[in-house]
Order: sequence, then structure tokens, then C-alpha cells
Amino acid sequence: MKRLSTLILILNACLQISGQAIFQTPLSPRVTGYDITGSLNTKDHTVSGKMLAWWVNTSSTPVPEAILHMYLNAFSSTKTSFAGEGRWTAAGDDGWGWVKITTITDGAGNDLSGNMKYISPDDGNVYDKTVMQVLLATPVEPGDTLRLYIDFESKLPSPIVRTGFAEDYYFVAQWFPKFGVYETAGMRQREADGWNCHQFHPNSEFYANHSVYNVSMTMPTEYVAGSGGVLVEEINNGDSTKMLVWRAEDIVDFAWTAWPGYKIVKDKWRGVDITFLTFQQGLRIKDKQLEAVKYGLEYLDARVGPYPWPHLTFVDPPAVGAAAGGMEYTTLFTSSGAGMVPGFLKMPEMVTIHEFGHAYFMGILASNEFEEPWLDEGVNSYWEQRIVDNYYGDGYGMIRLPFLKGSDADLGRLSYISSPSRSAATNDLPSWMYPHGTYSLMSYQKAAVWLNTLEGIIGTETMDNVFREYYRQWAFRHPSGRDFINVVSEVVRKEHGYRFGEDMSWYFDQVLYGSGICDYKMIDVSNSKITGYTGIIEGDTVTFARSDRKTDSLYKAVVRIERIGDVMLPIEVVVGFDNGDVITEQWDGTARYIDFEYEGTRKIVRAVIDPENKIDMDVNRINNSWGRDDNFPASRRMLAKYVTLIQLLISMITI
Amino acid sequence: MRLFSALKKGACKTAGSYKLLITMWAITLVMILLVAMPLKRGLKIIFSKSFATDRLLDGFDLGLVGDMGSAFGNLLGSATYSGFFLLITGFLLYTFFAGGLFACYTTAYGSFKVSAFLKSSAHHFHTFLGIGIMILLLIVVWTFVIIGIPAAITGTVANDPFTVMTVSRIMAVVWALGLPLWFLVADRARIWVATNGIRRVFRALGAGFSSLRIRFKVSYLAVLSVFIVNLALLGLVFAFTAGALPEKGILISLFFIATQALFVLRIFLKAWRYATVSELTPGSGELQ
Repeated sequence: MKRLSTLILILNACLQISGQAIFQTPLSPRVTGYDITGSLNTKDHTVSGKMLAWWVNTSSTPVPEAILHMYLNAFSSTKTSFAGEGRWTAAGDDGWGWVKITTITDGAGNDLSGNMKYISPDDGNVYDKTVMQVLLATPVEPGDTLRLYIDFESKLPSPIVRTGFAEDYYFVAQWFPKFGVYETAGMRQREADGWNCHQFHPNSEFYANHSVYNVSMTMPTEYVAGSGGVLVEEINNGDSTKMLVWRAEDIVDFAWTAWPGYKIVKDKWRGVDITFLTFQQGLRIKDKQLEAVKYGLEYLDARVGPYPWPHLTFVDPPAVGAAAGGMEYTTLFTSSGAGMVPGFLKMPEMVTIHEFGHAYFMGILASNEFEEPWLDEGVNSYWEQRIVDNYYGDGYGMIRLPFLKGSDADLGRLSYISSPSRSAATNDLPSWMYPHGTYSLMSYQKAAVWLNTLEGIIGTETMDNVFREYYRQWAFRHPSGRDFINVVSEVVRKEHGYRFGEDMSWYFDQVLYGSGICDYKMIDVSNSKITGYTGIIEGDTVTFARSDRKTDSLYKAVVRIERIGDVMLPIEVVVGFDNGDVITEQWDGTARYIDFEYEGTRKIVRAVIDPENKIDMDVNRINNSWGRDDNFPASRRMLAKYVTLIQLLISMITI
Repeated sequence: MRLFSALKKGACKTAGSYKLLITMWAITLVMILLVAMPLKRGLKIIFSKSFATDRLLDGFDLGLVGDMGSAFGNLLGSATYSGFFLLITGFLLYTFFAGGLFACYTTAYGSFKVSAFLKSSAHHFHTFLGIGIMILLLIVVWTFVIIGIPAAITGTVANDPFTVMTVSRIMAVVWALGLPLWFLVADRARIWVATNGIRRVFRALGAGFSSLRIRFKVSYLAVLSVFIVNLALLGLVFAFTAGALPEKGILISLFFIATQALFVLRIFLKAWRYATVSELTPGSGELQ
């Protein structure tokens, strides 16, 4: 009976939504789909739902089980892996979060309630209930579709960590039982078929199939809501509640938010309807936020591939829900910081561009964020830096004051090179396994630094072509890091022949699968006069007689360079002479040292390693050059400013 | 009219004491340079002959911090500690000079030599230091009461940073309007010491507070006027110092001269307040 009512409800919702298909031709294989009818209970902070979840077995063997993410159980106690790793605890008794399946049946009506079992594939933590195994009554044959009818109840956690509630603010993500990804042999270099479904870790994001979502949600009338779907219908139920009907296609996650205080701003970019949910004070920078998201759309559309959805919603959470900020759900993302950040700091714009970028890097190119966080966060940070510095100013994209500046790329590099743990691990670890709190450093900053370096080596045009090809080959699929590297090698070989070797594995072996640092150092530059002499050896006496030829103007000029770090990269060295000559040397950078020697009448006046700063991986650029006059003006100016600043401060604190 | 007359007479007195003020500036500058020069040397050692310094020409490039490594932390630490040392020393030095200035403006205007200035400074130093510290403490309490407490209450009630910010801004205006009162108390207390020769901190402060009612309106407006001019100049100097990016040797020298000229002006403006309040303060007999 219960299953019948679930079925009727879901069918009813589907009938309303089915005529509203967004794409005539699906963008993705659509292996999974979810039809959910639910209601938000603002008193208990719960979402009760009935769901039809379906999954298509695309493998060549029968599958006897389904594995589901039960993310909200991460907030059920302090003994879960999430709470333990992230030191999360509930804000009072009302703050615990969980998700419960009350009934579960398959398409044939078999009750599977007794077949549910929590498993902990990552760490064996028996208190962690974020992954559920459901043994099926009959295995799903190749090509068949598994249908699960599930009644569930989700209790939202507080404080918010991406998802949850705070007072009357709701950000509802990872809120329903969700299929893991069934990977077939060969997919992401996997050896055998099987489910890929990890526990919920604080230092991890997600991995899911591109799905179709039909979601009907009932909530109090006064709530203003938004989601990653297209609003198909809004029905006033006449009992102080309303039902919002959303449909989303080919996205990897469906999240939504509701709060009575939201202000809605609409805009459009080409064929994309942009909806911006913000709060009263956040309206002050709505134009900047909308401009930022359009910059992201324009830049990635031109250099990576088209943004395929006709809709995009982004949210600037109010202070009460700030912890929901800076997160991505493909066609819905959250920015942060509006109104609280001074205008010279482009932090809100940067967050907006970054989170939008995830529509590409894991939204369209749906990599496994659990296992290869660099492939979405690192790649996305690289593009974010390019976009921010392109539109807000190269050299001062993030901070621009008369006396202080900083580009987004430089600040990212700063985080990497100044970290004492920059060599603590290789860059290919699963997200929850980075030691010494290096998850962000490695996944975001280091990966972005070596991608910037790769761009420096192969050129911006080739880099853009790499990503165009990556998009062409892997859009709406699940690429791995190896797949990305293969694309890089393929494009580089096509555009540069064998200039960089058979493939680019020599590069990734060092920067991604290695943990060494890169540092080339200008050890010394000398200009020695060549003086001729002759010598006569008589017993123990050595007598020298200087040659009388006028060789005072002949010099042996030498540039000495050493490789301090382990990472070996091809570098360029520019040598300038006093007669105006400039020589550019190429070095493969593999030896521990190299000397460039020149004999003639000219003296070296400057020498610079990597003059165009292409090698972002180099952890010390100060030691890259030689030749600046001792009395450099910057230090004199800084002294003058320091003196004046101290004088003013003294005069201010003296009554 | 009395306000403008007082401001005008105060300005004349200040201008007349230019030698003393220039002496103050010169001594302070030498003191700061003695500490700052090694910092400049440290910067040179870090960068050696590197072209990385080009990235400092258009404002300090934060990206360089990583390249500087631990040297940046050391340099910043040295600059900060030196700064604190200079602030404390400078505070003592200016408190010292205030003794001479108040003596000049209240007792022997027109015939005050540098030697007499330094003698008076030494004579009043301890009392003026006590007054200065007490008034500073009172200003801290004033700040806490006027800005801190309302912000904390608003933060608890509204739980919204924007409301806290709005309330704090309004209270900051109230705070600034109240600040001249503390200056007036401090100045009157020091005038009392300079005219009576009694070196008692709390008696002087009592005299300062009790004298507030005397010519209150005109005195408050005078101090407020000078305060506003001072504030405007401070803003100008900060903006100029922070924003100017001279790149060539001669331009940097001109920049240094300009900043010092502005700072000398700042000293004159502070002395203008002392002189104006002295002008508006009746004879010592009325100051109880």
C-alpha cells in the first residue's frame, strides 16, 4: 500500500514534469535518475520524501547489489568518519543530522528493508553509516534498469557544513539516498566492474552519475527557494504551504535552498537564464557578482567548451548561512562574502568564478572528487586564476591597492611555496588521505601551480587546445587523471611533435606523482679579464712574465646555475651584455648545474633564469636573476614610507 | 568671533614657535632613521642583485612573500618590533616636548629659546607623562563604552554583521565627536601644570575636568575644528604616502621631502591645538 502511494505520488509529479524536458537529446548517458516528492518541515528541520531512484546496468555482468550514499548520516554522531576527521559536533540536541530509509522496495515489489547494511569501505569505521549496501532480490541483468521505491526522512544538521539549517535558513544538499557510481572494467583504469561509493569525509567532495531529477518540494509559503533545476511549476496549496516543482537534466547532484529573506535577481547571458539569490545587503554588489559569473561563462565557453544548460542559479548566503558558501552543485552554486569584503579585494568575485567553474570541472567533466581531488579543484583553480587575472588585472587580479597588489595566480602559488608541508605528499592521494592538513594545499594550490607551469612550458594556445580536447573526449563522462594526462600528451605531440618527448609522463611523474620541489638558482656571474702570461720553471722558482699584448678588454664571462630542487624542467636563461647583446639559452634542466661561458670583449651585466616567469613551480624566484643595481629604488621608497608611517603613528598616539 | 580670534591667535603663537617644532621634527627623524636604516639594509641583503625587486616598484607584490621565504617573516618581525620600540620612544619624546610647548604658550610667549624649551620639557615630563597615560586610558574606556558595548549588544541581538557594522559606524561618529573633550581635558590639565608649576597628575586632571565648563562651547568648537583639520591632513598624508610610487632616485628623494613637509605640518597643527586651548584658557586663578 505504501509502495502504491509512493508510486502514485511520483507518477503524478512525473506527469507534471515530463512535458518539460530541457534537452531533446540527452547530454549524458543518464545511467541514474531520481523522482522525489518531499516536504520541508521547518519545525523539526526535516525533509520527508518519497523517491523513485533508478539505475541502468551498463556493464556486461549481472549486478546483485546496489550501493547508496547516505551522506547525512555523517552528522549523526561524533564517531562518524566525517565528525572525527573534521571535529564536527552538533549545535545542541537539535543539531544532529541523519537520513533514514523507512521503506524500500524494488520494481517487482520486493521489500528490501531487511537487505540493507551499512558498510565502511574507506576506513572500516563501524560507527560511520554514510554508505549503504542493499542486496537485491534478483541481480540486475546487463541493460536492465533497477528501480528502487524509497520512503526516506532526512534530518538536516546544524551548524551547517555545506548542508544543514541555521535558524530559518536551509541549504539542503546531499539530502537523499543516492546511488554510487557503478564503474565497468577499464573505466578510470579500473580492473574489474564494481561500485565506487566512498564514505563522507570532511576533506572530500563527491562522485556521481549525470542524472535526471524531478523534484517536487512542499514548504511554507513565505519561503523563497532556489535549486539546480528549472522551476516547472509553483503551486499554492492553500494551507500556508506551496509546492515547487523542479526538473534538472544531466547534472551530478541536486541541491536546493530555502529562506524567507532571499532576494531574487534575474539576468541572462546569451541563452542562459541566470538566477541570483542573495540577501538585502548582498544586493549592493549584485552587479559585480553577475558580472563575475558572466566572465566565467564567457571565458570557459570560449576556451574549454560550451556551457550546455539554459539555466544557472547561484546563491550568496546570508551571514547566518555563511557555512553553505563556496560550494558547487553544477547548475547551482554558492558564492560568499558579499557586502562584507572591501571592494579592492576581489574575494566574492573569485569565489563566484571558482564555484561556477565547477560546472565544467566535475559538472560536465565528472571526475571522482573523492579519489582525485586535484582533477576538479586543481584544474578549476587554474582556470579560476586565469579568469580572475584576465578580467580584474594581470598582476593585481585579487588585490589592488596603491601600495599592495596580488594576482590570483600569485596568491595561489604563495600558498604552495610558503607551506612547510609542500613536499609532504604526492599530489595523487585520495582526498581524505592527505597528511598534515595538506588537502587544500595539494588539491587546489599545488595542482594549479603545476598546471600554470605546464601552460608556461607548452604555451597558452596548446593548453587551451588540451582542454578543448579534454572536453570533447570526456564531457558527460567520468575521466581519470590518467585520461587527462593522455589528452595532454596527445595534444602536445600533435602541436609540438616530439619536442617534449614521446609523451608528457615525465612531467606528471614529477609534479603529480612526485613530491619534489623545483628551484633553479643563479649561483654566480663573473667577468674575468683574460690575461696572457708565460712561465719559466727553474727548480723551485716559478717566474711569470705578463704578456705585453693588450688584452685588457678581453673577458671570460660565466653564468653559473644550479638545480637546487628535485624537479627537472626545461628552462630558459637570458644573458645580457654591456654592449647591448642579449643571448637566450635553452637548458633541459636535468643536470645539477650548468655553466654558460662567453669569451670576448663584452661583459655580462644581467642574467635571468626563466625571464617570463613561466615556471610557477620554482619556489624561489629571487635567486633566479643577477644584475640589479645595489641601490635599488624600491628599498629607498619603502624606507621613506616606513619612516613617515612611524612618524604619523607617534603623532596619533600622543595626546 | 571669539572662536576665530582664538584660532587665529593660536596659529600665530604656533608659527612663532617654529624653531621648537622643527627641533622636535629633527630629533624624531634622526631617532627613526637610526632604527630604519638597518631594515633597509636587510631588504638589500634579501634581494641582493635580483631583478625580483622590479615587482616592488608598482606597490608591494604579495606574490613575492613566498619567494622571500623565512626572510620575509624575519624582516616583518624586525619592522614590527622596531615599530613598537619607536612608538613607545616617540610617545615619550613627544610627551617630553609637550611640556616645553605648553610652557611656551602659557608663560613666556615671544621670548622662548630652545634651551628654555628643553628645560621646561624636562621639568614637566613626569607629570605630563602621567596625564598622557591617564587620558589615553580614559579614551580606551570611552571607545569600549561607546563602540564596543553597543556592537557587542547588537551582535548578540541581531546576529547580523551588517547591523553591527551600521551601529558601529553611527557610534564611531559619536565617539569622534566626544574625542575633542578628552583632548580639551588633557590640554587644560597641562596648562594648569604649566601655569601653577604643581606637578600632581590627578590634581591636574581634576583641574582639567572642572575647567571644562569654562568657555565650554567655544573651547570645544575650537578643539573640534583643529581636530577635523588634523584628521583631514592625516588622511591626506596616509593617502599620499601609501599611493605614491616614485621609481627614480630623484623622485624618491622628492617624495621623502614631501612626506616630511607634510609631517612637519602635522606637528604644527598639533601645536596649534595646544596654543589655541592656551589662548582660550583663563588665568590660572580660575583653574581650580
